[in-house]
Amino acid sequence: MKKALLVLGTVGLALLAAAPARAHHAFAAEFDSEKPIKLKGTVTKMEWINPHAWIHIDVKDENGTVTNWMIEAAAPNALLRRGWNKNSLPAGTEILVEGFQAKDQSNRANGSVITFTNGKKLFVGNAAGDPGAAPGAPKQ
Amino acid sequence: MRSFRFALMLTPVGLALLTAASALAQSAPHALPAAPKNWVQTKTPWGDPDIQGTWTSDDCIGTPMNRPANFGDRAYLTEQEMAERMKRLEQQHEGDLKDTVDANQRVGTGPPGNWGERARRPCRQTSLVVDPLNGRTPDLLPEAKTRPVPEGAGNNNPKADSWEDFSWYIRCISRGVTGSILPVIYGNGQQIIQGPGYVTILQEMVHEARVIPLDGRPHESSEVRSYMGDARGHWEGNTLVVETTNFLGGRTGIGLNGGGTPTSDALKLIERFTRISPDEMKYEVTVDDPKTYTRPFKIAFPLTQEAGYQNFEYACHEGNYAMFDSLSGARAKEKAAAAKAAAGK
Repeated sequence: MKKALLVLGTVGLALLAAAPARAHHAFAAEFDSEKPIKLKGTVTKMEWINPHAWIHIDVKDENGTVTNWMIEAAAPNALLRRGWNKNSLPAGTEILVEGFQAKDQSNRANGSVITFTNGKKLFVGNAAGDPGAAPGAPKQ
Repeated sequence: MRSFRFALMLTPVGLALLTAASALAQSAPHALPAAPKNWVQTKTPWGDPDIQGTWTSDDCIGTPMNRPANFGDRAYLTEQEMAERMKRLEQQHEGDLKDTVDANQRVGTGPPGNWGERARRPCRQTSLVVDPLNGRTPDLLPEAKTRPVPEGAGNNNPKADSWEDFSWYIRCISRGVTGSILPVIYGNGQQIIQGPGYVTILQEMVHEARVIPLDGRPHESSEVRSYMGDARGHWEGNTLVVETTNFLGGRTGIGLNGGGTPTSDALKLIERFTRISPDEMKYEVTVDDPKTYTRPFKIAFPLTQEAGYQNFEYACHEGNYAMFDSLSGARAKEKAAAAKAAAGK
């Protein structure tokens, strides 16, 4: 399973800054800054739960072994205001995730950078807290 | 329409395009609409000033509680500083809409930029504390300095022996009265609903509902205490004045999300809500806690409205995996340290 991880190493660590975390919890209490991960996976589901949404992905290693990972995402309420809804990320979508693994070494990680496989960002959208319009919803 | 939308969503490219298109249709940072000339405060059918709506403190997201020293006693930004902040918000907005990742994108353990909600316009204030004149929270009394402070979101190496080491916010219990309205990175909605004799404020994050009687009844017995206290309101002209007492001591503080040194059971808050236009309300709260601070102080910021903004449910406890991970992470670290120590013997 570890082979599935492209460990970023010291470069990733060097990029870490002591930015104040004012979201729901202390990130470094949950995730290990010494365990950078880079995963390619297929979405199996997205949990729309507070205080944070979680994206579940299946990650296949070079031997074909599939491991399910959970990736922490933003608060669902904030995602709604960015134009997302629970149908926005269908199962089967392939994504790339960069972040750090949970300190308990379970298959959970923060999603510091999440993109589609074509390099486009997963979370694009106005963050000004406007109405919760789903992607493609009629203009209000 | 539905199937068309779904079909588009099947491809990442389609999803990205749709998301971007939807966002583009939404508003960029903008000035608050000017109040109509001769605007007067409307009344409810029973004659109270009507302050109903869903308000947010979003405009002052990022404004520090305590004024940075370089501003001295200056409470407000200059026009030039305001223009610079507006430009920064516009750049932030452009970044939010950009659909590719910058080459130098930082991969960290902190919250990614896409997590937050943004202010729509700059906050004119240099600090949220407006009294004393230096814009800084008064000193703590010696007895308060020794009061245990629960682990908050700002501590990356928290004591994590138990869930009880963590703040009431992280535990999804409460952020207290001031913590539930102060501007934070998201979830700042305040829905105000009025009825004859009552004002109710529904607060999105940690889903508080403050039911405030206006009929002049006395506070509950001092034996009855709670995280959110016992609120009593009355009108002074068009201003809703709310006095809240009967707090539990040693829970939440006056900082963002209820962080910082917990207040005592002697805390008394006096809030004033004054609508000054259809979309703007002045909000201020005087914090008086003679067992915690050397003097009372006042925090103020605007509450504003945007068409279509609504509160969403914030049921936090069941999904609070971070609590599990923080505790199990601490146990894993202890185990690793013990194994290392044993190997070294």
